[in-house]
Amino acid sequence: MIDAAMPRGSLLAALFAALSARFGGDAEALAPLAENEIARLVERARAGDTGARQTLYVQHVDRVFRTVRGMLRSDADAEDVTQDAMLTMLTSLHKYTPRTDARFAAWVMTIAVNTARRRFRRRRPELTATGELPETPDNGVDPLESLDRARRRRALLVALAELSERERMIVGLRYGADLNASDIATTLGLEPATIRKILERARTRLSERIEALLNPEGGMS
Amino acid sequence: MNDEELAGVWATLQPTAPQRRRIDARVSAWLEARDTPLAAEWLGLFRIAPLSSAGLVAVSALAIAVAPPVVWFTYALM
Repeated sequence: MIDAAMPRGSLLAALFAALSARFGGDAEALAPLAENEIARLVERARAGDTGARQTLYVQHVDRVFRTVRGMLRSDADAEDVTQDAMLTMLTSLHKYTPRTDARFAAWVMTIAVNTARRRFRRRRPELTATGELPETPDNGVDPLESLDRARRRRALLVALAELSERERMIVGLRYGADLNASDIATTLGLEPATIRKILERARTRLSERIEALLNPEGGMS
Repeated sequence: MNDEELAGVWATLQPTAPQRRRIDARVSAWLEARDTPLAAEWLGLFRIAPLSSAGLVAVSALAIAVAPPVVWFTYALM
């Protein structure tokens, strides 16, 4: 339990543990907050409010994982990059400058993409596209549903492996982080028109490949 | 496959509960280590293992005391 007399570090750890137990791995963990609420949380977190820091963490951690998982070769790499990116976010809030043309999530994703890029440089960039099955089935999930999910996940990872590194980043930011073309342009330092063009091309290739993998005989799934 | 369907497929990349717990635990441990002063770490160590901590301090102090004459003596022999 959280004790008022606990040192700051232990209090933070207890809060993380409580949040992890409550929200860990749940797709519907938290509804996304509006940008003005995020801005208020950033201000409070900068002033040392641990709860605000917590909320910012929970709001972004799954998004970061989904985004970088599409860029990297394994779940383990995605876990490492997510961890590093979230730590950088939490310890660099004082460097964040709000912008009218980009959301806070775009800043977080810039950190995540840069962290993933460093990993690209350290290792060979291509994906193995194994689409590993989850290590333990989620409680209360229908096995058939779980199997279908694993099949779709594998198809997505195979299709992603056939895209270039830049295309993977852009579709990852679009579908993993739910950023729009303008936010992605800010994150990657490109023009929004260029992003839209690449996104459209990558989306078509990805869709066709996934459909072909899920329906090898051309039928409907 | 439209935008919404693709977003649906992408949701399969969501971290599993154990993956999320691991990330949370590592981030939490790192932050805790960052926020804990060195003196508190030492005090914690003494609380958990007073004998071995005292031994470690004694050996460290002895090494610091003995090292300069040994170095000096080695130089003198060379």
